[in-house]
Amino acid sequence: MRAARPRSARRPFLRTAALSCAVLSAAGTLPACGIGAADEPTIAHKHALTIGVKEDQPSLGVKGKDGTYQGFDVDVATYIAGKLGVRKDRITWRTTNSSVREKALADGTVDMIVATYSITAKRKRAVTFAGPYYVAHQDTLVAPGNTTIHAVRDLKGRKICAVTGSNSWRRVIEERKIAAVPVQAPTYGACMDDLAAGKLDAVSTDDLILAGFAAGRPGKIINAPFTDEKYGVGLKKGDLEGCEQINRAITAMYQDGTAARLLTKWFGKSGLKLTTSVPQFEGCT
Amino acid sequence: MTMTPAQPAAPPGARPPGAPAAAPGTDAPPAAPPARRGRLATFARGRWLRTIPGRIRAHVALVLAALVALLAVLTVAVGNARDSVQTIGHDAGPQVVATSTLYFALSDMDAQVSSILLIGRQHDLGSGYDRMLAAYEQRRADADAAAVQAAQLAGRDPALRQTVQDVLDGLGRYERLVGSAMQLDQKADHPAGEPPKEVVDAYRQATDLMKLELLPKAYNITLDTGAHVRQAYETKRTAVLTGRDWVIVAGAAALLLLVATQLYLARTFRRMLNPALVLATLGTVALTAAGAGLLSAQAGHMKKAKEDGFDSVLSLSRARAISHSAFADQSRYLLDPGRADTYEQTYLDKSLSVVYPDIGDKPLNLENYYAGLKQKVGPYRPHKGTAPFLGFFADEAAAVRNAREADAVQRTLRAYIVVQGDDQEMRSLAASGDRNGAITMRMGRQSGAISHFDAYDAALGSLIAVHQDAFTKQIKDADGGLRGWKAVPPAAAVIALLIVAGVRPRLAEFR
Repeated sequence: MRAARPRSARRPFLRTAALSCAVLSAAGTLPACGIGAADEPTIAHKHALTIGVKEDQPSLGVKGKDGTYQGFDVDVATYIAGKLGVRKDRITWRTTNSSVREKALADGTVDMIVATYSITAKRKRAVTFAGPYYVAHQDTLVAPGNTTIHAVRDLKGRKICAVTGSNSWRRVIEERKIAAVPVQAPTYGACMDDLAAGKLDAVSTDDLILAGFAAGRPGKIINAPFTDEKYGVGLKKGDLEGCEQINRAITAMYQDGTAARLLTKWFGKSGLKLTTSVPQFEGCT
Repeated sequence: MTMTPAQPAAPPGARPPGAPAAAPGTDAPPAAPPARRGRLATFARGRWLRTIPGRIRAHVALVLAALVALLAVLTVAVGNARDSVQTIGHDAGPQVVATSTLYFALSDMDAQVSSILLIGRQHDLGSGYDRMLAAYEQRRADADAAAVQAAQLAGRDPALRQTVQDVLDGLGRYERLVGSAMQLDQKADHPAGEPPKEVVDAYRQATDLMKLELLPKAYNITLDTGAHVRQAYETKRTAVLTGRDWVIVAGAAALLLLVATQLYLARTFRRMLNPALVLATLGTVALTAAGAGLLSAQAGHMKKAKEDGFDSVLSLSRARAISHSAFADQSRYLLDPGRADTYEQTYLDKSLSVVYPDIGDKPLNLENYYAGLKQKVGPYRPHKGTAPFLGFFADEAAAVRNAREADAVQRTLRAYIVVQGDDQEMRSLAASGDRNGAITMRMGRQSGAISHFDAYDAALGSLIAVHQDAFTKQIKDADGGLRGWKAVPPAAAVIALLIVAGVRPRLAEFR
């Protein structure tokens, strides 16, 4: 009886310590009773990544017949993943169209999106953006022989392509109030056909998209940019650590010359003025 | 000392009744040298625990161990708190804020150049040729000083060092381009708003270099060093809070052990209270409560210093630099009609990043922006909760903590709306073909555009000062809290002495 006492005297302490642990954990102050901190979910330490890209944007993100993806966005995403420590064979590519991007990030269908995803104030409420990895500009593509269109104002009275669901033609006609004539088309590919057939005077949208569609077709970009489109890397809202690491990866991509090489590889023949200096980051919020 | 032990106390070292004798030859090695190893073996056998003094000693040892553990976790947690105050309050934090000057200085250099080229030979326009030139030189010096801070912060981070170096190299190139633009400008001796093409072309090269290479890098330097501070803050704050929880656990353990010792003594010696142990218990409660409370307070100071101070100062400094840059886009718009559309767009983009009113489905252009500003932001009174607009000021407005902040936000917003009103007027003059009217409006001394902008800048400056004050106060409080920690080890020593003093008379009864 007495022999047992010293041990039993210690037991209440252990029990109470465990209890106070449980109480503290329940109060949310002690995540696992002191074992590590409650980390925000981040992609920074993942060993495999699912990356959302486009499948139908020439030179940016295209899905080939064999199911592989190619383009500037794909190369940029591969580089960033590499800097995060994820090998190429551990990347799962997933086509992510514009309409589902915020949802795909929120529900974890994709870990990050590199798909001509412009950073805007509205989107920033739902998405954490790393980058931009490139600042594209809205520019105008005209037929090769055209010598009358030098700036966006010259589109007055001209037929420009109005792709269903795209905002670009509105930026000319509604935002800048330039009285161009919108001609409906289902895709930018169709715009290119119309331009070649003489049914259109110009196609106006992001210069990288123009350069991609114009590759191998007649047409020239007039190099009169009038907007900044900040192509960002979309992440789940709140992943600040992942965002900061991706920003460092993008800095490295420009410093080691990879960005310049990739831009030349995909858009070098388009006649587009390319910026090979690191863009101004948005800041991780 | 008239009490006698409750139970017939066994003489010290004797075998308590009922305890079995140790099986001979099993515990101690047969060839053990008698003296020291014999005593160790006796200790290991644990029979001493079955005596009352032995148990008292065991209790004391456990209580003291818990006290040492409490002291250890307190020391570690306080160390973490001290590190985080040092990082955010004294080292990296202020340096990061200093690097944000780089972006502002560079941006304002280019702003001064655009104004100088715009006014041409009419040296009395704007704030005056001499003052603009002096401002340019001053900003150049500011940029150098900020670059030094950035280089220090970069330390051994090669990518960051490279970025700082790139900015300095680029700045050299920029100055040469500006030099030649200024030379051409003087030779041309043009009236305000009519710079010849070669001046505009020379300026385009300079401003493109600034916009595409220097400013982004300068901005990224502050973001990247700020990211390091954020990470250090998160880690340290979590460590401080975890430390606080461990202080509570260790304090509770020490307390339970003290109570157990008291109960044991009370039962064994039929004495209700042992005054020294009661004091030690109260001391432990006080130490634990003070420790946990002060660590919580430290975490609170750090959180406020980081969020209300550091974050706000940084983001408002960005808003200020971007506003200056947007204001310069007005003079660039007038200086270079060939790029007027582009400069109008960058003006809008910059304005949107500062304040972005909800304009519904209407096209996003300046006309709708002005209207949205008047409708949504004009009647707004800052209070905690979501603001009816986005942008830098929305984040600040939504996070106001007191009346002084709310006032400062509101005055800034009011002044901002006035500046945008001037912009609207200036652009409508330019659009109607009255370029001279637009230039007089923007650069004239009587028109008010410059003084309105200065008023806005002053309001924004005092808003930044409010947050700077909050930062300084929190860091000062945190420093003050940390100074109190010198009393902790002596306090723990006093508690330990009280414990020993409390049990000594009881142990003495067995001698």
